[in-house]
Amino acid sequence: MKYLIAEDEKELQQSIATYLSHEANVCETASDYHEASEKLELYEYDIVILDINLVTGSGLDLLKKLKKQQKKCGVIIISANSSLDNKLEGLDLGADDYITKPFHLAELNSRIKAVLRRGQFGGDNTINFQEIKLDTMARSAYVNGKAITLTRKEYDLLLFFITNQGRVLSKAIIAEHLWGDDSDLLDNFDFIYVHINNLRKKLTKEGAKYIQTAYGSGYKFIAD
Amino acid sequence: MQNISKRPTEVVINSSQIKNSNPNKTKLLRKASKTFLITSIVIMILSGIALYIYTRYLLQNEIEEELYSNKDRVERLLKNNPDLVGIPPIMMAEKTEISEENVLIDTLIFDPLQDEVELFRQLSGTRNINGQEYKITVRAMVIESEDILSAIVLTFLSIIFLAFIFLFYLNKSRNEKLWQPFFVNLERLKSFTLKSDKPLDLNDSDIVEFDELNKQMLALTSKVQADYRNLKQFTEDVSHEMQTPLAIMQAKIETLFDQQNINEKQYEQLSSLQFDIQRLKQLNNRLILLAKIDNNQFTADENISINETLKQSIDNFTEITQTRIALNGKDEITAIMDKALASILFNNLLTNAIKHNFGNQPISVVIEKNHVQVINAGTDGLSNPEYIFDRFYKESKKPDSTGLGLSIVKKICDFYGFLPSYRFHESSKKHIFQIEFDT
Repeated sequence: MKYLIAEDEKELQQSIATYLSHEANVCETASDYHEASEKLELYEYDIVILDINLVTGSGLDLLKKLKKQQKKCGVIIISANSSLDNKLEGLDLGADDYITKPFHLAELNSRIKAVLRRGQFGGDNTINFQEIKLDTMARSAYVNGKAITLTRKEYDLLLFFITNQGRVLSKAIIAEHLWGDDSDLLDNFDFIYVHINNLRKKLTKEGAKYIQTAYGSGYKFIAD
Repeated sequence: MQNISKRPTEVVINSSQIKNSNPNKTKLLRKASKTFLITSIVIMILSGIALYIYTRYLLQNEIEEELYSNKDRVERLLKNNPDLVGIPPIMMAEKTEISEENVLIDTLIFDPLQDEVELFRQLSGTRNINGQEYKITVRAMVIESEDILSAIVLTFLSIIFLAFIFLFYLNKSRNEKLWQPFFVNLERLKSFTLKSDKPLDLNDSDIVEFDELNKQMLALTSKVQADYRNLKQFTEDVSHEMQTPLAIMQAKIETLFDQQNINEKQYEQLSSLQFDIQRLKQLNNRLILLAKIDNNQFTADENISINETLKQSIDNFTEITQTRIALNGKDEITAIMDKALASILFNNLLTNAIKHNFGNQPISVVIEKNHVQVINAGTDGLSNPEYIFDRFYKESKKPDSTGLGLSIVKKICDFYGFLPSYRFHESSKKHIFQIEFDT
């Protein structure tokens, strides 16, 4: 996959690029409006990560341009402003998703995967990981073809694990993915144990032991 | 974590909350009228008394003068006519042996003409005329002069009374007109709110002092307004400016996680950093939320069911807490408000109850009549319950609270005119937070 990261904060831009460069992805970066505009005209990307507040112009203007050229790429908007108006404007202009700073890179990654799934594979809504199969339309999970019953949160958790396979996920990251703004409500993440343990039990019962503990209190989904 | 007590963070802007130094307040116009009335009554009484005394003195003088001159006349008549008797009872002369000094007295004499006893002023004395002592007595009716006296005083009093009444009403209407711009501007000042962007609009006045007052008020309010706006803007700007550095920190921690060369201890420290960033982010979000409510950015008001919203909030909590929450909906409440704000309101109340719950007792939520109560167990009542809804006020020593949750509750309640309150139920050791919705 080819990504363009249009973000004027160099540090953030580099972190995103490093994080996403796994899995044989190519990440290109643009630090201002003109650079981003130029690159978008010259090259094709699968995903564009667009900061709304670029120093020399608005990311929303770039988005308008992009849609005018009818390029087939997914667009995820990043903004420091959590106001709903901004969000709606971005989505109205044709952005595929919207994420507010500060965000977790694993969260960004899972949003990118979701956009790619919707955009590229059309009718194919299945995700496979070893013997696990997820149907993202029906929101159901199968191990070796056998359906397993998961709660809403367990399904979301499994999907999040698979899209971020091989990466270390801390409880803060998982909590925010599963509960969004509501994860602020309680300040300790112990409640996550319950959900992860339940999911782990259900998978292990079917022989799929992929949820591993990393560094004592983090989690990693990985094939041995 | 410091306990910021003795510090009301919100400026008192409600005039009813300002302490009254003197509870006996009189209206300006009434006070002016009262002063006028008292002064005029005093003047009326004093001048009436003075007029009475002076006129009486004059009239008495007049009578006495007349008595003396009448006596004189009788004496002269006696010189030519020694047998003169006079006209009783007004003038009388009789021969006598004893000589007397002139004496002035009041005396009562029966007047056969009017068939009643009348008061007379009498002058009597002896006089030697042609070698014979005569006692001469002259009298004058006092009634006449008393009548004149009361007529004069009464006329005076009624004229001055009428004049005062006329002046009183003239003065009153004049005062009303004179102070009119003052009262109009006072009303405008009362309805002035800091939160509105509109400057204070005062009526012009041709009175120098009122004009000066207006100018001072305008200068003061626009300064306060500007300061308030700047403060609000500052909070918002800081909150927004913090997002990007926080994003960078968060991203860097994750890229570190991703590298294989960190050990368990480093991971612990990094994830604890992640937790702190989370707290900053939470603080930020809440400050932005407060600013948004201030800026009237929640306009999607609809008629929502409080019971339904509470039920959803409680359902969400069952996924993230072990604490049991019991909902007891005795009555149905609906309110016109923004749906997002309604969930924020209840989420904050429930979060507060869960965080400060004592033991593993269940939290109970009661919907009754027009109020919602969130009740959690505690050990003691709060030491400063009056600050509980203030920004950054923390009663507990728990390090993980932002001190903003309940002030958000208050802000939302203020925005919609609901009434939040707190009390501690001693016998059952329960903290009770209550929101009263309008009926």
